Amino acid sequence: MVCSQCQELLSDYIDGALELGEQINIERHLSDCEPCRAVRDDLLQIVHFSHQLPVQSPSTALWPRINAGLAELQPSFWNRSLRWLQNLRTLNINFSVPQMIATAAAIAIVVSTGIILSRRDNGTTPLSTAGITLSPSDPTPLSQADLQVLEKQISQLSESVEQRKDSWDPELRNAFERNLLYVNQSLAECRHQLSDHPGDDVSQELMLNAYREKIRLLEGFDKF
Amino acid sequence: MAYIANTLTMPVTGERTQPASDLDLARAAAAGDTEAFERLYEQHHRRVFSLCLRMLGNGSQAEDLTQEVFLQVYKKIGSFRGDSAFTTWLHRLTVNQVLMHFRRRGVKLEHTSEEGDFTNVVDTPLQSTRRISMVDKLALEKAISELPPGYRAVFVLHDVEGYEHNEISDLLEVSIGTSKSQLHKARMRLRELLTKQ
Repeated sequence: MVCSQCQELLSDYIDGALELGEQINIERHLSDCEPCRAVRDDLLQIVHFSHQLPVQSPSTALWPRINAGLAELQPSFWNRSLRWLQNLRTLNINFSVPQMIATAAAIAIVVSTGIILSRRDNGTTPLSTAGITLSPSDPTPLSQADLQVLEKQISQLSESVEQRKDSWDPELRNAFERNLLYVNQSLAECRHQLSDHPGDDVSQELMLNAYREKIRLLEGFDKF
Repeated sequence: MAYIANTLTMPVTGERTQPASDLDLARAAAAGDTEAFERLYEQHHRRVFSLCLRMLGNGSQAEDLTQEVFLQVYKKIGSFRGDSAFTTWLHRLTVNQVLMHFRRRGVKLEHTSEEGDFTNVVDTPLQSTRRISMVDKLALEKAISELPPGYRAVFVLHDVEGYEHNEISDLLEVSIGTSKSQLHKARMRLRELLTKQ
């Protein structure tokens, strides 16, 4: 073996990736060749110290930049619904009964959203929820009277749940408040959309669904 | 900026508290908990930045890319299921971002030149007085940054980050033989650069 052949194989040699025969040939050459031994030792040092290179720190200005980027990525109502559903898949949680009710409520919103969007895109099938039939051609399917009925029902249930909350354990209370927050955020988003686009039948349908899910949530927790 | 110490804990069972695992934090972040995301950043940003820095050889670009990586993490964290370690998932995401950066800039990673890559010791035998002073890790960092991008990528992935050649082959879309060859040339070039310093 000559030096050039030996050096071509040195990396594989120090990584232990050579066949036994090649390894023996190299070791025989190295025992007689000081320059090649020096190269081997240098490569060993490079490999050894490369494994030990310290981690480096970026400037302290990086997190504020990232944080600003995150603010721009804050999920919209639609994304948040999907993300919530995605989280359910990844979470390894044993839900209590009220948590399951709240979970089902949120899933129902997500599913409703998908159905509504798909129907809006595809055709003219009328939508029905909470006893109110909606048609894509109907510009004002949600009347003030409907809203008043729903809000009155919610108000009564909320009052009852509020009275019961004092006897709940912290975990149950947290579960309720977290899910109530989610539903309220959905409602707020729908109201916001409707204030900009009062005739938007999709937002109206979503708001009806959000009301319905809030009622289910409150009814579920009203039993505890 | 409100950096949060690594020693902070989060409730896990309701009764006891223990240091939050990456998986706990990832799940919380996926549910919209920005504090959990900041903690993930605090725990991992140095490794991400170091990898970007060594792969790119440029501090400013490495910061930009670290920012991109964490924004991607934020977008994709819901897809992290805990099947592998979070660090593995994050690492792979970082490497992919670096490679996308190279592709966007038209950087060819497969360096095939056989001539002049490094000086054979037969031509200039190494003398003991020119032995590398490896204690100087700064010199090693500088030499790594001077490697051609293809050599640098393979060297950093293999010798610094501990990837195997088959993994590098998949990541860089080169053959295993090319990965081995690039690694050897990178090491020999480093040796040359270090002896010149």
